Amino acid sequence: MKFVVLTKAAVPLSSAIRIDPKTGTLVREGVPLTANVWDRDAVEFALEMRDRYGGEVVAISMAPPTGILALESLIGMGVDRAILASDRAFAGADTWATAHVLAKTIEKYVPDFDLVVTGEETIDSTTAHIGAQTASWLGVPYLYYVYNAEVRGRTLIAKRFLEDEGVDEVYELKMPAVISVLRSSQIPREVKLSRKLTAREHLQIVDNSKLGLDQDCVGLRGSPTMVVGMSPAAYPPRKRIVISGAPGEVAKKVAEVLRELGVVCAVSGLQ
Amino acid sequence: MKFDVAVVGGGPAGLAAAYKLASAGFRVVVLERGREPGSKAMYGGRVYTHWLDKYLPEFRKAAIDRWVTRELVTFLTEDKAVTLETTTERGSFVTPLVSFTSWLARLSRDAGAQIVTEITVDQLARDERGRFVGVKSGSDFLRADYVIDAEGVNRLLLERAGIVERLKPETVAVGVKEVLKFESRKLLEERFGLGEEEGLAWTFAGYPTEYLPGGGFLYTYRDSVAIGVVMYLKSWDKLKTPVYDLVEKLRLHPYVAPYVRGAMLLEYGARMTPVVGINMAPPKFHYDGLLIVGDAAGFLLHTGVLIRGVDFAVASGVLAAEAIRESGDPSAEALSIYEKKLKSSFIYPQLEKFRNVDRILGDETLFRDLPIFATGVVNRYFTIDDKHRTLFEALRETSKETNVSLFKLLIYMARAVRNI
Repeated sequence: MKFVVLTKAAVPLSSAIRIDPKTGTLVREGVPLTANVWDRDAVEFALEMRDRYGGEVVAISMAPPTGILALESLIGMGVDRAILASDRAFAGADTWATAHVLAKTIEKYVPDFDLVVTGEETIDSTTAHIGAQTASWLGVPYLYYVYNAEVRGRTLIAKRFLEDEGVDEVYELKMPAVISVLRSSQIPREVKLSRKLTAREHLQIVDNSKLGLDQDCVGLRGSPTMVVGMSPAAYPPRKRIVISGAPGEVAKKVAEVLRELGVVCAVSGLQ
Repeated sequence: MKFDVAVVGGGPAGLAAAYKLASAGFRVVVLERGREPGSKAMYGGRVYTHWLDKYLPEFRKAAIDRWVTRELVTFLTEDKAVTLETTTERGSFVTPLVSFTSWLARLSRDAGAQIVTEITVDQLARDERGRFVGVKSGSDFLRADYVIDAEGVNRLLLERAGIVERLKPETVAVGVKEVLKFESRKLLEERFGLGEEEGLAWTFAGYPTEYLPGGGFLYTYRDSVAIGVVMYLKSWDKLKTPVYDLVEKLRLHPYVAPYVRGAMLLEYGARMTPVVGINMAPPKFHYDGLLIVGDAAGFLLHTGVLIRGVDFAVASGVLAAEAIRESGDPSAEALSIYEKKLKSSFIYPQLEKFRNVDRILGDETLFRDLPIFATGVVNRYFTIDDKHRTLFEALRETSKETNVSLFKLLIYMARAVRNI
């Protein structure tokens, strides 16, 4: 079987991002680019299925060249090969234009794919659009929040968990298909030195001269959504409560304050 | 998986060795735990250049933020400060260590070294005769004729190999620092009275460590400053506040706050730093198939005000590379040339010379008495009230008020000037 894992290989580490209060724009300086951590569930999911059914796992990402690092790391985990679609023309893309590049890359380089696997969402923009939109471009069915799957013939039997409803569901999808993997549902395997040493050999970088995509369908020009403004939510002011004393006393007072603020409910254990 | 040389740790020492060896045609791999070389690198702020010019003159093409042209040492108490200031020739530069390290990584890569990141080496691999023959990472075994241990101060691999014991609190200090960014380079220069490429290195004693052994520091980068506190771990039980709170208190101290007002906290970090220099060296620096460089070898010279790590690290890496080139085979006997090189270079003699410095710097009385006394005397001398004091009167009055014996202090000072 042929598995494709879609990954965002260069996202700003969202916990390190601040918004400039004066201009209302993101302060990107000093913010490291990192691999989307939630994609590791998808990678593990695909690798585990490959180990069970045989075949290969191809990781695909659309990112600037800094994305090489993240893809090398995935190859270190055991991904067979990786393709980085990287071109200045792709910059500024929304999810629609991104999914377009990803779908076309799949069609060109892994035309015989059986299953495309994505993470639940990215840590920066958290739209969770890419899976569905890529499926639309490819014209195949899709399912989100999957944590377990097996293959019977050309059918994928996938289990998913819906947190809000608190239910498990079982679906049958005709392959090829696209699934997104439930966050934290897998235990990603270790990155192996032996794989990383030769990672470059398994990594292919393609630009638009190879993909030949219409300039109007990619990047900023191919993006129907626009961010027209941004207003940062105000940080709640600090309470500036200082509690000192013996540890037991402090703990009691802390509990009291938290209860008053409605942060915790009164439970029997908290006196 | 077979290399001529495996270097564990992509810091200044490991990368300098890798660069020299790759340039000489060796197949070299550098194994680095961080995301990129330098991503885990951290220091106070400066690199001394005298020996770099000899061992790695290429450094002048590296990203240098500012040359230190002013040195300040301040004795600081809650409400008083005495500062000694001097101008200096361009003998050291300030730059974020990550810039320097990633520059060195590029240099090594261009020379042909392979750098593998996000890989943790779990063990130095030995053969049945105890010779070092590579490294182990997870279930992988990477074979190499030579292993260079550049793992840094927290030498878990050397511990596991039974070469060194676990670090003791007396041998290290913990440094915590913040990087504060100014609105512009110009604003920083105006605040500190610096010219375009000029920088300032500032150390503090007394208040920043709550009068315990250690000190505070401030270095100016291009448009930001590094401000931090180094605290000897041997006094950890006497410290009632976390070290990062000490950094905040130093930043907010009325004597320091005006300099950094309005600057934005860009990043913060911490690291352990060796404080006993050669006293924490492993029994030998060379074994069958293994050489030890940089902090892991105890190659950091620390005299309180002057802290030199990077020039020692780079030079030891370069010497290890030379030793491997000249050794012919990886036996301990052939590699003993490394030890000879260390001894005939500046590294060993200078560290040996300052062997006793930690005994002075670890003295708790000194860190309390000296700042309190010095600020008291100077403050008193400059205060005109009913009396107009002679310097001697100021000394005597301060001694009486602070309970610091002038005689004891003089003895300390005499010991200090000989050793630091």
